[in-house]
Amino acid sequence: MTDLQAIVLALLQGVSELFPISSLGHTILVPALLRWTNINRSDPTFLAFVVVLHLGTALALIVFYRKEWWAIVRALIASVVRGRLSDDRYERIGWLLVIGTLPVGILGVLFEEPVRALFGSPAPAAIFLTINGLVMFLGEALRRRQQHVEGRADRPMEKLSYAQSVFVGFSQSLALLPGISRSGASMVAGLLCDLDHEDAAHYSFLLATPVIFAASLLEIPKLFAPNAHVVASQAVIGGIVAGIAAYFSVAFLTRYFKSNDLRPFGWYCVIVGVICFILSRTGVIS
Amino acid sequence: MKAIALVLAIVFFVLGLLYGMGTINFLTKSGEAHAHHVSHLVICWVIALLCMIWYRFQTSPQPSR
Repeated sequence: MTDLQAIVLALLQGVSELFPISSLGHTILVPALLRWTNINRSDPTFLAFVVVLHLGTALALIVFYRKEWWAIVRALIASVVRGRLSDDRYERIGWLLVIGTLPVGILGVLFEEPVRALFGSPAPAAIFLTINGLVMFLGEALRRRQQHVEGRADRPMEKLSYAQSVFVGFSQSLALLPGISRSGASMVAGLLCDLDHEDAAHYSFLLATPVIFAASLLEIPKLFAPNAHVVASQAVIGGIVAGIAAYFSVAFLTRYFKSNDLRPFGWYCVIVGVICFILSRTGVIS
Repeated sequence: MKAIALVLAIVFFVLGLLYGMGTINFLTKSGEAHAHHVSHLVICWVIALLCMIWYRFQTSPQPSR
């Protein structure tokens, strides 16, 4: 892997992890489109490099929401010490996040490897990316129906029920499929649970943080695998670039979703997904 | 419910221990087995910890109204 490839992949990871366009799908499709035949996604060196990128992304999310995470962790510890739940907003959000993280934690540990082995090539990634776009359109349509036909009002994220949190958590697990976006799936689920776009994005980013962080911590041994030969400078620069890209992405998206919806990302996923599928079927990318 | 929480906590703790020692291989990938065993151990112990917290919530005295 060249330095330029490392920087492009880091930038791609940092941005696409948080934008609802699937980072996994893009890390399969972009190297295929650019004909980076020297990059083998199952190579231990590449896997170790990806660990660093994920760590950079997770740290960026923690830094961006640092005050909120501090309040959540303190509230969670206080409730455990007290031995009962209270009406504290951060405590409620904290337990919702804990409950919501369990589905992806369990399903990820059990099924991540077989799912990626099965679908980790451009054609399935393109199909799932198209489906990801269609799901966003469907989510927006259902949300409008909920509001205008059923007359349901928005609710703040701390008013989610635990069952709804599990539902959002399960939807996040769909991101195990390359092409399905973690943030896109969890945002759509949040919208269907009556969150507005801003809160759905906020909850989605909070929910993604422990998953990305824990997954990258669990993968740290790959950095020291005997046949992983990560170039230290590439790893450091990659981690920093991914972190900075993720930080600015989440800053942009939190402002974007104050007054916009998921449809532009839906169009992007459908168009790119269809083009990549055609290219993969015609043998242009493989 | 208290008993269920406690039993689940113990079951998941032991399950994690068995995964950690490599005694059980259920739903782990062969080959890079060690890393997979560690992730199974961690998720089992996290669930065990949550069950213990659930148990604590049910056993601590509630404030009088």
